[in-house]
Amino acid sequence: MAQNFDVVVVGSGPGGYVCAIRAAQNGLKTAIVERDALGGVCLNVGCIPSKALISATHFLHKAQHDAATMGIEIKNISVDVKKLISWKQTVCDKMSGGVKQLLSGNQVTVFNGDAEFKNAKELSVKTKNGTETLTAKNFVIATGSRPIEIPGFSFDEKNILSSTGALAIQEVPKKTVIIGGGYIGLEIGGVLSKLGSEVTVLEAGPQVLNGVVDPECAQVVARKLTKQGVKILTNVKAKSQKKSGNGFEVTIENNGKEEIVKCDKIVVTVGRKPNSDQAGLKNIGLQIDEKGFVKVNAQRKTNLAGIYAIGDIACQPMLAHKASYEGVLVADVIAGKNRVYDVKTVPAVVFTDPEISSAGLMESEAKAKGFDIKVSKFPFAANGRAVSIMETDGFVKIIADSKSHIVLGVHIVGPEASNLISEAALAIEMGARLEDLAFTIHPHPTLGETMMEAAEATLGHAIHIIQKPLNKDRSQTAHV
Amino acid sequence: MSSQNSNEVRLPELGEGVMEGELIKWLVKPGDTVKPDQPVAEIMTDKATVEVPSPVAGTVKELKFKAGDVIAVEKVILTLEGGTAAAQVAAPAAAKPAAQPAAATTTSKPITTPNYAAAPATNFSGAQLDTAGINPPVADFKTLATPSTRRLAREMNVDINTLSGSGLAGRVTREDVLASGGGLETYSTPANGTYKAPSIPKSGPVAATESDERVPLRGIRKKIAENMQMAKHIIPHFTLMDEAEVTELVALRDSLKSEAEALGTKITYLPFVMKALIATCRQFPMFNASIDDAAAEIVYKKHFNIGFAADTPNGLVVPVIKSANHKTILEISREILDLAKRARDGKLKPEEMKGATITVTNIGSVGGTYATPIINHPEVAILGMYKISDRLVLNEGKVSSVKVMNFTITADHRLIDGAVAANFLKAFITKIQKPGMLLLEMI
Repeated sequence: MAQNFDVVVVGSGPGGYVCAIRAAQNGLKTAIVERDALGGVCLNVGCIPSKALISATHFLHKAQHDAATMGIEIKNISVDVKKLISWKQTVCDKMSGGVKQLLSGNQVTVFNGDAEFKNAKELSVKTKNGTETLTAKNFVIATGSRPIEIPGFSFDEKNILSSTGALAIQEVPKKTVIIGGGYIGLEIGGVLSKLGSEVTVLEAGPQVLNGVVDPECAQVVARKLTKQGVKILTNVKAKSQKKSGNGFEVTIENNGKEEIVKCDKIVVTVGRKPNSDQAGLKNIGLQIDEKGFVKVNAQRKTNLAGIYAIGDIACQPMLAHKASYEGVLVADVIAGKNRVYDVKTVPAVVFTDPEISSAGLMESEAKAKGFDIKVSKFPFAANGRAVSIMETDGFVKIIADSKSHIVLGVHIVGPEASNLISEAALAIEMGARLEDLAFTIHPHPTLGETMMEAAEATLGHAIHIIQKPLNKDRSQTAHV
Repeated sequence: MSSQNSNEVRLPELGEGVMEGELIKWLVKPGDTVKPDQPVAEIMTDKATVEVPSPVAGTVKELKFKAGDVIAVEKVILTLEGGTAAAQVAAPAAAKPAAQPAAATTTSKPITTPNYAAAPATNFSGAQLDTAGINPPVADFKTLATPSTRRLAREMNVDINTLSGSGLAGRVTREDVLASGGGLETYSTPANGTYKAPSIPKSGPVAATESDERVPLRGIRKKIAENMQMAKHIIPHFTLMDEAEVTELVALRDSLKSEAEALGTKITYLPFVMKALIATCRQFPMFNASIDDAAAEIVYKKHFNIGFAADTPNGLVVPVIKSANHKTILEISREILDLAKRARDGKLKPEEMKGATITVTNIGSVGGTYATPIINHPEVAILGMYKISDRLVLNEGKVSSVKVMNFTITADHRLIDGAVAANFLKAFITKIQKPGMLLLEMI
């Protein structure tokens, strides 16, 4: 017996569950299918658990290093990794439980099991109690992505770990090799390093976070990681690995020469790929591009009527908040509202130490789009709050159109960069000018003042840095 | 699937802003062989009826739609067997390529031009989009407007990219959107003719009785409805009426008849009226003008593109004589005959109905003494001409027979005062009564 719905959402990550809730709010009879824990990668093996571990190890690091400088002597600091991991799990469980409550509170029917499209109108779900057949006017594919495996480094999640395994370690490896210096690799590398592991990051490109973030921001993080003891090898490729005693020998190609790096665990974080080879997506005539993304338009419609795709499965960037936005969008489109993905920016955050965040265009992108830009930075070292928390590495960089002063991009590396970027995202969406940021009173003493000062710096007259050459005409605030 | 499949004929771009067309009839049937550029279907848009050519040669395999279907631009309309892969682009049937992507009206549009491959895999700055089939189009990155303003524009069916923002640095404000055509307080229309389809304020449902016949409002009729409603909504109309004594004009035209026929055309009164109108507009430039509400400016036109209302089986259309001030009466006559014929046959190209700076409506050919026409927005005036009749007049004690003709001038009261319109009509009538005067300005 088929059960019929207005909307069936496949996948309950930050795209899927948000879509299901909004669809239900829109008065649609909605179901959601999840094969694992509610909340998907984000809540269970991605954003949330990694941030739990990052916060814990940040705390540890402060206790070990900065506390003494502040006059706080803490002796015999030790880490119980098993307890740390189980605390992390309680965080995840709490969040996942919250999603469950929200879904049931909104009368969304939840099916736990593996979903498989029989055809474009019918989905079968293998649950513990047998197979359910679901039909719906609309299907939303939100089945996400998974870590990419590379040849010779298949995940066993014991010794060769994906991000999922790395977030569930039961003891700290003495030596860790991380293949891939992207944001996931650096976040995990930072955690393991702070827990005491000797970490080597292998990056195939010329720089960590290559092409993903502002290059100057990446440099600040690379410098701090190095200072913290993480070894970063760039322009190297991991060729193979073999067991050696209790550990592994990883053969790498470093500038044409083969070298061996020894370690106890290998973490492979070379990116993620869409799960378009699952759930029968390939069998129903869905158009899928060469990278594995389901092809969608600006309303996240696929080529098949009544089938939508959102989140990592649909397109870059693979970020939870983009998926959530799309979830709301699609639920509204299904409800007959004229909605379209028309955001100017998807802010992005890298939870390294210090954090990196960005909104809008990078310098290279702004130039490529034909903007004549002005760029300025304001360092956290000149911010009272940053000094008082002993986190002065980094800066706020603002890129603006040189004539109109419209803010085009903001790149932050520094303390709480993740929390500071929302102001920049709002500024960009609102079409704010540098003056709008500069003339807004920012409370003192806060890290947020750096945004105001960076805007002033772009205009040529920040208060807390000396800008040269000194401008004779101090009234150069543009009138556009 | 490939967008350039040589075995498919797609509905090409039909003109600026035209998203769909209604299939009037097929000109081929399955099994027919077609040559490149051979018309295969007749499609009626809200602007004109056009013939869609096949871009390639082949044998017709399948017709994908039936007469009466509304088809979105870019949809495959028929498939061919043995199509030669000559065509990289389907030849536009009638008009320059539309600036806007086509709207899919029925089901989700097949995605034809994905550019995902070009997307840097790790770039966070924005998602790649396929924006085809989205109506109104997605706001450009460079369009300055807050998220809530963008949403408002979408809900009001306004293409925010076409609005000229009144805010700082060209920012499109909430007020700009409200003023742009959502049926609220005022409209603002860029005078360059990029006005987007306004949404007509909807009246309540009409009570139904069983004997009613209900027909979808679409195509040319829908366009007429929108244009008329918009014009009446925006423009405070007023009409002045007067009578001209056209004995000389009638004599002149009669005297030229045979010469014109020898030159292969028929001469009507309309070209004389147009010439007199141009001469009068030169004296009163505010009649050959527009109001650009968005910029709060009056736009004085330096060219004279004269529209003339033509009654066709599908409804009213207004073909345009472009640069009429640079054409002879004979040239204008020929052009009127050609445009009017093609208007009746539904074969006008969209650009032949665009760009008028002032319009003439000739109701006299049908009947009636006077009318109060509606101005063709964003023009600011329309001249009405009516039937010629004989009248006896008393002139210095003698009764004589004269020809008289009624004229009206309908004007936009925002720009044109009543007295000015009265003077305009007087000046026009002076000229049309003494057509010899037109020689003074003849090109």
